[in-house]
Amino acid sequence: MTFLIRGKIALVLKVIIITLISSVLLMLTQSAIAQHQYVIGAFLALTVLLITLTYLTKISIPLKFFIPGILLLTAFVIGPILYTVTMSGFNYKTGNIISKQEAITQVKARAVEATPEGISFDIKLGKSDGKDAILVSDIPNLKYFISTEDSRTPVNASDVTLNEFGVAVSAPNFTALTDAELANADTSYSNFHFKYDETGFISLEGFDAGVVSQQVLDYSESKDQFTNVLTGAIYTDNGRGNYALADDKTAILEPGWRAPIWFENYTKILTDPRVRAPLVRVFIWTVVFALATVLTTFALGLLLALALNKPIHGRRIYRSILVLPYAMPSVMSILIWGGMFNTEFGAINTLFGTHVAWFSDPNFARVAVILVNLWLGFPYFYLISSGSLQAIPSELLEAAAIDGANPRQIFRKITLPLLLQILSPLLIASFAFNFNNFNLIYLLTGGGPRNELDGQIAGATDILISYTYKIAFGAGTQDLGLASAISLIIFVLVASISLYGLRKSKVLETFA
Amino acid sequence: MKKWLMHDSWRHIIAVAICLFSLFPLYLVVISSFASSGSLQLTSFIPKEISFKNYHLLFNNPAIPYLTWVKNSLIIAGAVSVLSVMIGSASAFAFSRLAFRGRKTGIQLLLLVQMFPAILAISAVYVIMERVYSFAPAIGLGTKPGLLLVYLGGAMGVNIWLLKGFVDSIPAELDEAAKIDGASEVQTFWLIFVPLAAPVLAVVSLLSFIGTFNEFILARLFLVDMNNRTVAVGLQQFIGGQYSQNWGPFAAGSILASIPIVIIFLSLQKYIVSGLTAGSVKG
Repeated sequence: MTFLIRGKIALVLKVIIITLISSVLLMLTQSAIAQHQYVIGAFLALTVLLITLTYLTKISIPLKFFIPGILLLTAFVIGPILYTVTMSGFNYKTGNIISKQEAITQVKARAVEATPEGISFDIKLGKSDGKDAILVSDIPNLKYFISTEDSRTPVNASDVTLNEFGVAVSAPNFTALTDAELANADTSYSNFHFKYDETGFISLEGFDAGVVSQQVLDYSESKDQFTNVLTGAIYTDNGRGNYALADDKTAILEPGWRAPIWFENYTKILTDPRVRAPLVRVFIWTVVFALATVLTTFALGLLLALALNKPIHGRRIYRSILVLPYAMPSVMSILIWGGMFNTEFGAINTLFGTHVAWFSDPNFARVAVILVNLWLGFPYFYLISSGSLQAIPSELLEAAAIDGANPRQIFRKITLPLLLQILSPLLIASFAFNFNNFNLIYLLTGGGPRNELDGQIAGATDILISYTYKIAFGAGTQDLGLASAISLIIFVLVASISLYGLRKSKVLETFA
Repeated sequence: MKKWLMHDSWRHIIAVAICLFSLFPLYLVVISSFASSGSLQLTSFIPKEISFKNYHLLFNNPAIPYLTWVKNSLIIAGAVSVLSVMIGSASAFAFSRLAFRGRKTGIQLLLLVQMFPAILAISAVYVIMERVYSFAPAIGLGTKPGLLLVYLGGAMGVNIWLLKGFVDSIPAELDEAAKIDGASEVQTFWLIFVPLAAPVLAVVSLLSFIGTFNEFILARLFLVDMNNRTVAVGLQQFIGGQYSQNWGPFAAGSILASIPIVIIFLSLQKYIVSGLTAGSVKG
């Protein structure tokens, strides 16, 4: 095996592998730039440069170890974090997803209306002089013409062949599409404008009919505004990702684009009661939920650890059974519990002979969430508490017993304080973990119950992270900007909690 | 004698009560998987019949590509566990054994990054992978390689952090000896460190396997196509679709998918517990 690491063969292998990876990445770079994904393209190009420099020269040995890890971390963790920061400064939501250039194109495409006269013709799709063209039949007036994007050529009535409905099907200098070609003709025709007169054009309605239409909104690039040619109304960039009327801010043109609004997503959280009120409610429940989970799981785990802190009969069997909830894939367990809480068929109601609609009542749902999380989490605290109980020096306990302390006193005055000291970093870590326990909420209650009639997004059991997910990917308006802002606030909260926990565990001191 | 029994009986009572609590849902799943009714219903504690209908359905119903889901999960989790430990251990080795400028800053940065809950950046990851899809459909949104890359990136922070702890605990004398004998850093890593740390690396990669197997939300968001799904996503969607009718096959499917994970977990218990106290919480 050593020949793979040393010597000429190794060198050749290395060069081949580096060249292969680099060329694949270079190809990706090229296609990224071709699709105008410049940031991704630049990152890929930088990746190629770093890989070749690091592995084909000797500029830095540590880098040889770090490069794959650093690149992956940058691409899928640090990059997304930075992008989240960026998104949080934008009006980035349903209706404002695309870039400004794309938005202008789409506004133009949508602003096509039939002229007030409402003229429509029977048409035939085909080619004329190699260009897409239509053969138009003005049946009432017995007039026929061929229209392309930029020209309109009359055809003598005597030169056309009519079908039984009086529609011209062939004419000189016009080749109709065959049925097979028609079947393959895609939607591009529906956006095609065939010339009618100075302002009007014929747009297609299906493959047999055309309507004389006009561009209602006229875009002026120099002024960056749309003018309605019928009413004269002027729509200008409102600075928030839409073209809007100057005197009526609600009259906006769809679609909008993602526009920078700086800190508005953050200020909205503080000032807009429609955002703030549910968020405060969700935040309070998140804290209550995380605290209740830590307390209940720790209490039950510790109780068990104390009970089994003595080589009683069957301790090994107990232990294997007790860690099962922790060993099961949590996704499955949560779904199973979800089924058990079902009102009609659920095992919980059957077992207790009750008929509680667990997930329809806010308080019952909250109890269910905490109960399920207790089941999922107590083995963790059982395992670490029993480990920590062993770590408490027995001399301490013996000394207390000799001094006449009863077992309760020993537990309350010596064991518990020592345990709390040992375990406090883990209690804090568990709090931080449950603060973002998305899977549990999402899979068990989906955040519900919620009052749909009120148009609420947040349900009674929604925690911050599941609420944020709903804001970003929910069924209604998807607001990625606001979701990003909330995400970053959660990160600051959780990171402070975790850092506090780490400081307590003194991990930081080892390299501070 | 009687006092002894009194003394220990409370221990047994607590242990048995909590054992019943932990076994109840699991027992229920097992009996539902063998019942033919198809709901997660508690009709009686002792099953009246043992039917393999649900298991049969799982493997023979073309609407439930269960085996494909299992295969997808195994491929993705397997690739993540091997690659992330390979890449992560190189970085961990460098942090632990090499002297270079910016080492302290690097570790602190890593500490901060590994604290960032991946789920918070989920919308950004989604948008980025959507863009990747626009120019490289093979590795963008909705593909297994794309999901694999996202998992690898997400696993880096925690894995490097966890592995660094393990590497620190391996004595440095051996690789110092190799260095004196003229081995380069890269040779020391491959020829001395990796064989020495193999058991530890295996444990971490199995942990990473369990973690990836359990991952739900990214997989759910990424793999929309029925035949691309992982077991977790497939089974969830499956009971989400037509409620309560499909609990039987769901129960059978989760039991089969859970058994290997539970076995890995139980056999690694010792290491997992020491990893737990090192400050990592299972996801």
